[in-house]
Amino acid sequence: MECNLLVGGEAGQGLASIEIELTTLLFRLNYCYFATKNYMSRIRGGHNFHMFRISDQPVYALSGKPWNMIIALDDETETRHKPALKDGGNFLAGEQIREIEKAATDTYHNPVASNTIITGIILATMGVQTEAIEKIVDDPLHMEQIRTGFAFSGNWKMTKRFPVIAQSVNRLQFDGNQALAFGALLGGCQFMAAYPMTPATSIMMYVTRAALEMPVHFEQAEDEISAVNMALGASYAGLRAMVATSGGGFALMTESVSLSGMTETPIVIIDAQRPGPSTGLPTRTEQGDLNFVLHAGHGEFPRAVFAPGSIDEAVIVAKNSFDLADRYQMPVIILTDQYFADSMQIVEEQVPTDVSDRDYRTFDAGYKRYQLTADGISPLTYPGLSDALVRVDSDEHTEEGAITEDLNLRIRMMDKRLKKGELLRKDARMPGFFGDRDADVFLVCWGSNKSIVKEAVEKIRAGGRQIGALHFSQVYPLTQEMVAGYDLSAKRLIGIENNATGQFAGLLKRELDIKMSDLILKYNGECFTVLELCRLIQEKI
Amino acid sequence: MESKIETAWCPGCGNLGIRNALETALQELPVTAKNIVFTSGIGQAAKMPHYLDVNYFNGLHGRSIPLAVGIKLARPELTVIAYSGDGCIYGEGGNHFIHTIRKNIDITILVSDNKVYGLTKGQSSPTTDMGIKNSLDPAGNENTPLNPLSLAISMGAPFVARGFAGEPEHLKIIIKEAILFPGTALVDILQPCVTFNRINTYQYYRERVYKLESPVADRFEAMKIAETWGERIPIGIIYKHEGVPVRGIRQNLFGNPVSEEEMIRLLTARHASRV
Repeated sequence: MECNLLVGGEAGQGLASIEIELTTLLFRLNYCYFATKNYMSRIRGGHNFHMFRISDQPVYALSGKPWNMIIALDDETETRHKPALKDGGNFLAGEQIREIEKAATDTYHNPVASNTIITGIILATMGVQTEAIEKIVDDPLHMEQIRTGFAFSGNWKMTKRFPVIAQSVNRLQFDGNQALAFGALLGGCQFMAAYPMTPATSIMMYVTRAALEMPVHFEQAEDEISAVNMALGASYAGLRAMVATSGGGFALMTESVSLSGMTETPIVIIDAQRPGPSTGLPTRTEQGDLNFVLHAGHGEFPRAVFAPGSIDEAVIVAKNSFDLADRYQMPVIILTDQYFADSMQIVEEQVPTDVSDRDYRTFDAGYKRYQLTADGISPLTYPGLSDALVRVDSDEHTEEGAITEDLNLRIRMMDKRLKKGELLRKDARMPGFFGDRDADVFLVCWGSNKSIVKEAVEKIRAGGRQIGALHFSQVYPLTQEMVAGYDLSAKRLIGIENNATGQFAGLLKRELDIKMSDLILKYNGECFTVLELCRLIQEKI
Repeated sequence: MESKIETAWCPGCGNLGIRNALETALQELPVTAKNIVFTSGIGQAAKMPHYLDVNYFNGLHGRSIPLAVGIKLARPELTVIAYSGDGCIYGEGGNHFIHTIRKNIDITILVSDNKVYGLTKGQSSPTTDMGIKNSLDPAGNENTPLNPLSLAISMGAPFVARGFAGEPEHLKIIIKEAILFPGTALVDILQPCVTFNRINTYQYYRERVYKLESPVADRFEAMKIAETWGERIPIGIIYKHEGVPVRGIRQNLFGNPVSEEEMIRLLTARHASRV
């Protein structure tokens, strides 16, 4: 059983508070849930809605089924979402909302209490016992407000209408941005500089809060150019460092992506994508920056691009990115998006807790920062650790880091830097596979579509049709080894992406000569739901 | 430290005198070369660190200051100096200049100010006087020149000075004081460009500069001195205000990595339903 729930209203009406309160209680009551939101770029007014899928089973995507329950704090919610209400579903609006608000002000002298009352109504609908809630809510007033919700639910005959059993076994709760931030700290990141930008800001908030208790620094910069240069400065000085932004901020950073490539200064850059071009839809989702980050930065230098699709993968990819950036002394870019950033979910997989660290080597005064070596990787150290002076330069440079216009040396330095890219190809993170290897149809996806595609594959297979899916969390470089054994040339391939042009399909063609037969693209700023994707796939096969 | 490197500067360039002053200042300071880091941007002045026996990060045009901020926050024990020209620091990097002053981090900003874009061959810089004609301003520069000193004072910079490349001994003293000053210190250095600036020559400055006896501590009085330009041009430490809180970091970062215990605590506190 599951309960699909939508809470809609204006910005500033308490939707975010309801989400936090509900997910916190669901989490502590051992429920499996997935929660994400669709909101406008404004502080008050407009129309926002938060979606919850509460289930007996672990869930990692929106089902797309009709809503079991809709709570409408504004009229717009009724107009837009009531047509998708399940027959016999609970619809809470108008007079009922006013009654709740009246109870909050009359009984509790606090309008905010209506958020808790509404949470109580939702829990009653799911058949939660008040005794179970009492065990986790210590504050008697808080509990009383939840009981008021139960009373309303009883009066309105909503109680136990959509029962769900609490049976989550693992008890970790993350959203996508928290997973990346947690992974970055595991990767030994001790310095972050950034300029706030939706949907990357919550990564900054996470690191800032962690920095209150850990040897980590967050610096808010005056702009993204400053942020990335501060991070490069900190990395040069010896700390693992990162920045996070969205496409527009990344655009400002691009000259410094090239600077990282030329000076061979390790850095991790997170681009939390939102729909462009330009300001686009600032609070919605898209996978539109892939081609941009692949090509960002003038000149030629190696880079790696990742796009994790699940919480455990986001933690691991973020952690490993710092090792990789150090190993190859280059920029590593992680793509996420608003959908994954804002999706709060329960994690079943174990999350690592061991922290990786830099290798601090020392050298004598003869140290050459850009020493030419067989594999292109020069020994890396940091200022003040030994007699070695660390001299790095954005100009073409000598082994010692001095400006040079020796054109023969230029070739050797270019070859040295590009050699690292060849080594990097041997370090590839393999794609994930779901479904039937023998199926004649394979879906191909990357990044945040992973869990949606995975569930769609399960549903289609349950309907008796064989199908398989490949999910790429490393999107660049792409190597033949990554697709070896799947016999892709014999398959009908359907690319699934949240963009208008099939950017990853284009990349697969360019890099591996793999051609999609069909594309399923969504670019209205919203994620796919499982049922929607199943329907779109069925239309193609 | 003794660097005997052939430079990319023109014969007689003001940067040569600055380099001598800087080299002596660094020798006389109680810091070893391995603990000094220069950051620089792009332009003839930005090549300065290449001609000194120090660590350096010669980065992008306009970005020497944020590099310096990142280095200083990461490693407070290092002496960090951002060095570039007027185009780099005040033009391309103008936003960083303003906002870094607000941070008051203990770095030194040294600017070779020749009032012209040298490396791109003589165009107007942020400090070029009105009416000056050049390849991109054939009818004369129509923009008011930026006064870095009064701008810095108005932003709350606690140490603001002007030096002159033709007075290396005096400049050396200013640079030493700037480096030793706890907080953001700015030294704008009058640097004759012998190729592209035919007005602000050594001779021009020699006839006008006068040495300030001591810095003032009153911002409004300092503004008056900073705005003095023309027949008489003051050089020296114009404004010095000690006691302004210097931005630091909460705890040591370098050599003090996050531990697994701390990550387990974080995981438990923020992501686990029960302890």
